[in-house]
Amino acid sequence: MPHLKASYAKYQNDSGVAFLLVSIDEDDKRLQRYLGEMKFPFPVARLQAEQAETVMGFDNVPATFYVDAGGVVRYYLNGSESHGDSPTRVSWFIDQVKQLRK
Amino acid sequence: MTKQTAFMIAAAVCVTVATTLAQSPARDQLARGTALWDQRLAKSAIAALEAAARERSTAAEAHEALGRLYTFKGWQQDNVFPGWHDEPSVRERALAELTAAVAADPARASAQEALRTAEGFAAADKVDPAPPRPEIRALDAKLQATSNPAAIVAAVEARAKAQADPAPFFAGAQILIDRGEYDRAIALAERGAAASDRFIDENLSAYQMTGKSQGSYARGHAAAADLVGWAQFLKKDYATAAAKLGEAERLSQGQDFVNQFHLGELARAQSVPARARDHYLDALSLSGGPAPLRQRATAALAGLQADSGNTTGFDAWLEAELTRRRDDRKASALKSLVDRPLPALNLTTVDGKPYDASGLRGKVLLLNFFASW
Repeated sequence: MPHLKASYAKYQNDSGVAFLLVSIDEDDKRLQRYLGEMKFPFPVARLQAEQAETVMGFDNVPATFYVDAGGVVRYYLNGSESHGDSPTRVSWFIDQVKQLRK
Repeated sequence: MTKQTAFMIAAAVCVTVATTLAQSPARDQLARGTALWDQRLAKSAIAALEAAARERSTAAEAHEALGRLYTFKGWQQDNVFPGWHDEPSVRERALAELTAAVAADPARASAQEALRTAEGFAAADKVDPAPPRPEIRALDAKLQATSNPAAIVAAVEARAKAQADPAPFFAGAQILIDRGEYDRAIALAERGAAASDRFIDENLSAYQMTGKSQGSYARGHAAAADLVGWAQFLKKDYATAAAKLGEAERLSQGQDFVNQFHLGELARAQSVPARARDHYLDALSLSGGPAPLRQRATAALAGLQADSGNTTGFDAWLEAELTRRRDDRKASALKSLVDRPLPALNLTTVDGKPYDASGLRGKVLLLNFFASW
């Protein structure tokens, strides 16, 4: 998750890009503690795990979707990168999706 | 008192106890439920304990056992076994069972203590997962220290009887393979696959998402198939080895270092150098695996390259091949949902109020689903 914070630094002043984290945690206290530790600079919402699974069609977390300006999902990554998540890769996806609607 | 008299008295006591037990189905269920939970077979334990809780004579003990079980599930099982997470939904149940235990027998000190513990967990900001049980660790250590093949099997059985996860079967199979006891190893590995299925079935709710339980089923079968395949390879039954190692490869989706190494060894023994090279490269492009096996894979690759006349630039060639494999794997992990609109989601804020997503409209969105566990 720290890589998302690092990635966000590049887009925080870009009005055409938004980050949204969605927690599927069931445990309130644990989530609050985690958010307190992480201090994400972008919004965090919640969704029931079951709905996340049935509606979004993934069966493990983290699951990352890159959605274009027209609301269409363009990329989906399930799980963490086997060699570590990097801000460079996040930027690559965002920049790809931005180009789609130019 | 002679030895014989003592024996007869002991036998008579046993008969009496057995008769008493047979006369009380509720007490049978209680004993069964407690033993099943000691083994961490939750589903069957709950069924037996619930039956015992309905009978007045065993109600206090059964409610207490259920309360302790749900306390573990609710607050203390995070990663105690691979893929397990706490189940907050059973926390109320834990408190209710322990309250019922105290109500059924107000003098029951152990139930009062368990209730206080659960109430403490409910009020705490953070509860640590349950530590490994000393008796299980002792049995694991004993297994690792055993060298006689028959004693290894006995040590596996003792450990499996104490806790029903499949780990001792796989550990025992590996020890037996190292000792050249291939048939015994194969038998243990196969029992491990069955034990793995049962253990996951009994604890499905601990996995929270189907991907985690499905992954665990597959890992259990992959571990068994790889051990069986490797034992067959060492027995020089290459056809059976190929079938089992291939099964393990499909189950692990080609992502297991040891399995890829084993497939490389098999292909080399069968004189198929191109396939051997691919498996060794796949193995080395994955993380994990013990250092000696990684060295053996590298040495085998160097040998294959030399055999095919490529005697220079091995290090650079290896690095390029590994990088290419890692990049290919990243690309295949991407599943594009091109042209599908993002479905409507009933999002809430962290405080549980409806989430207003209107501010996201018209923007490129990074949407990341996560859990703090």
